[in-house]
Amino acid sequence: MPTALEDEKLSETFSALANSTRRALLARLAEGAATVNELAEPFDMTLPAVSKHLKVLERAGLVMRGRHAQFRPCSLDAEPLREVASWTEQYRHVWEARLDRMDDYLKQLGADNTSTDDTSRRSTTSP
Amino acid sequence: MTNSPKSSESVVIERTFDAPLAVIWSMWTDPVHFKAWYGPTGASIPVAEMDVKVGGTRHICMEMQTPNGPMRMWFTGEYVDVVANRRLVFTESMADEDGNPVSPTTMGMPASHPVTTEVRVELEDIDGKTRMVLTHIGIPSDSPGAAGWVIAFDKLAAYIDRAGR
Repeated sequence: MPTALEDEKLSETFSALANSTRRALLARLAEGAATVNELAEPFDMTLPAVSKHLKVLERAGLVMRGRHAQFRPCSLDAEPLREVASWTEQYRHVWEARLDRMDDYLKQLGADNTSTDDTSRRSTTSP
Repeated sequence: MTNSPKSSESVVIERTFDAPLAVIWSMWTDPVHFKAWYGPTGASIPVAEMDVKVGGTRHICMEMQTPNGPMRMWFTGEYVDVVANRRLVFTESMADEDGNPVSPTTMGMPASHPVTTEVRVELEDIDGKTRMVLTHIGIPSDSPGAAGWVIAFDKLAAYIDRAGR
């Protein structure tokens, strides 16, 4: 069952991908792990600028960083991308969540109806 | 395995709701009800204009809270088929505030997202309950700009498949 958390995760993946530099960084990492220095090389960017993009990718769960303080090589985690690779996968989550809420809302309306329990006010299609 | 994204793909979801046809119909066609369930958790639907007739337009605004403040997304579309309590078909595109369509990539969606999609809601009465079949179909786009983005994304997806465990 999709959750709000999953929705949020997907939004984070999307916003991380909505940047050509970050997509280029991912394409590079798809060829293999690399250090920040190696990643920065083909780009006309400072190391802090590259690091900033990497942080966004890391937060979105797309990039993993090694724990060795000096080098901390980056590698790609393809899992979130598999999820968003097809728009239908994303929309399946969206629709399942929407229909869950419709169901909750219907129950709420039903409860309201029975609590007022007035036969003259059966119409739920108003106003 | 992830295949190359195709915009003609569709999502089909089938559900049965414990409510009569007319109530489920109103969930889609009455803005008051529609606003109550359509937006994701934490979002609201400040605008839901629906001229529910064949050729009529719809204009929906979704407002989400982000760390950078509220973000509004607009959607527009046209009703293609309207048979009360039976079938509702409408198109949907991302739009601006005035209802002019905008490309999904401008909105930060991946290029695999079709520019226009079609939502079909089919309802059937099952002993006072309502069975709903929802189909969301991507309408292939001929826009060359979109194609460029799709190629870029396909390449990335191919890389990922190769890099995948």
